[in-house]
Amino acid sequence: MDHVVYAVIIFTLTYIAIVSEKLNRMVISLLGAVLMVIFAVLTQEQAFHSIDFNTVGLLLGMMIIVIILKKTGVFQYIAIKAAKAAKGEPWRIIVLLSIITAIASALLDNVTTMLLIAPVTLVITDTLKVNPIPFLFIEVFAANIGGTATLIGDPPNIMIGGATGFGFLDFLFNLSPVVIVIFIVTMQLLKLIYKKSMRTTEQLKEKVMSLDESKAIQDKVLLIKSLIVLLITITGFVFHQILLLESATVALFGAALLLLISKIEPEEVFMEVEWTTIFFFMGLFVLVGALEEVGIINGLASKVMDLTKGNMLMMTLLMLWISAIISSFLDNIPFVATMIPLIKSMEYLSGLNVTPLWWALSLGACLGGNGTIIGASANVIANGMLEKHGYKMGFLSYMKTAFPLMLVSIVISTIYLLIFYI
Amino acid sequence: MKKYVNAEASMHEMKLLQMGAKVEQINSKMCYVRFAIDGIKVEYVYNLNSKNKYFLERIKPYKLPVKEFETESDIVKVIEVDIKQFIKASKSKNIHTFIDIANELNVILKRFEDLYLYYNVPQNEASKILERIKTLHNDISEVQDTSERVFFEKDPENL
Repeated sequence: MDHVVYAVIIFTLTYIAIVSEKLNRMVISLLGAVLMVIFAVLTQEQAFHSIDFNTVGLLLGMMIIVIILKKTGVFQYIAIKAAKAAKGEPWRIIVLLSIITAIASALLDNVTTMLLIAPVTLVITDTLKVNPIPFLFIEVFAANIGGTATLIGDPPNIMIGGATGFGFLDFLFNLSPVVIVIFIVTMQLLKLIYKKSMRTTEQLKEKVMSLDESKAIQDKVLLIKSLIVLLITITGFVFHQILLLESATVALFGAALLLLISKIEPEEVFMEVEWTTIFFFMGLFVLVGALEEVGIINGLASKVMDLTKGNMLMMTLLMLWISAIISSFLDNIPFVATMIPLIKSMEYLSGLNVTPLWWALSLGACLGGNGTIIGASANVIANGMLEKHGYKMGFLSYMKTAFPLMLVSIVISTIYLLIFYI
Repeated sequence: MKKYVNAEASMHEMKLLQMGAKVEQINSKMCYVRFAIDGIKVEYVYNLNSKNKYFLERIKPYKLPVKEFETESDIVKVIEVDIKQFIKASKSKNIHTFIDIANELNVILKRFEDLYLYYNVPQNEASKILERIKTLHNDISEVQDTSERVFFEKDPENL
């Protein structure tokens, strides 16, 4: 009994500390995880066993590939090409950059995508002398929507994939159709909101046209090597289930291969790995593992089953909407980490096919992040960069536009799930 | 924080590349060093990196032009000698005049640069300034000849 009390107290306090965002979330998650072992809720062996190393390996592998890839200047090259293809016209530029952001975000994680695309966007808006807020706002939406489409696009999907065994193609086939519809509808709505406010002069458009994309590529050999490895890695993701390989194996193979052939000092690359994210995940896995170990997750799952009477329609809609609303305001990673064992437990207790719940969780957690400025890390990064350049989105002014758009995406997801899964 | 620094560095890189530069970003440790010698602040800044290029700059009490070194240990040696010299110099009654002169010379350099970059200065006026500088050099040499040397640990590099 003591173990249950300790587990509940440690988990609740850790969760409150993480969502309050007053303290570093990684430090709190790691401290909570260690406390679970100190108070004997878990043994050290059980704690290590509860870490999903498939998720950790996938994150680490993709981070290493992106760190090397970004040194090639390929993202600058593509962005300049897009701006020139749009003939310096602001709305056309934002449409092309948003498509690039959505595709990049489906293949890389959202935060990385924003860190790559936002600096280039700010240089372009600076050249065009237009307000960068609509540009970054739309790119944030594109990143969060695009990331929903694949196994590797957003941390919640990586975690769901790690827990369920769903592969790259499972995510692609089940989520990309609705993601494409949501992206198109969102862009149309954003066009109504922002298009008229984006004006510049012919002279400034000419300045954008004079940018030379070839100058962005500093190391052609490294670019070719990186693109080949990226292609091999993505092909590996497509076929990983057929090859009987975990997604982490594919990502780590790509990372190791690129480290080998790029001849970049590994220490330089590892210095840029986001270790805080990796350790945050590891801590969370231990915290949730502790709840599982003492039977709390099973108890919660049976309560949910009692409340919904095993009605899949009700459970799916609840999962989608609750995930979306919670993810709008709170960090979606601890939420998803808690929901995963809950859904697994519901499957175990009821024998139901819970596949719709996984897609509902993914859509809700990933798209919900668009709702507020603090809803997803990509939003926080974009806002931080704007503030550093003297612009402010503001919590309420962001939410006024973003929350209704997020709700539209959840309504589309509801219709999609109702038609194809229930 | 690192994310914002990297994003800012990417923006700088893009702008500089478009200006025609070659840009190499190196992870390094920036070190600020502060001493207080008899109320006089002596401060340095330098960076350490894996490319074996080390840049040292004195920022207080007056700026020392950027210096490049081949090994890390040279930096500490230079600072060590510099500090010993300042400890000695701080005993002099002229220390504040000495600092004022050094700062004024820095201001003159900046003003001259503005003059050269913003105006088309006639040749004879430029020659006049050069003559004055030669006189100043001679004055420094004359003062050197008539003054007692007080620091022997290292020979002067510029006299």
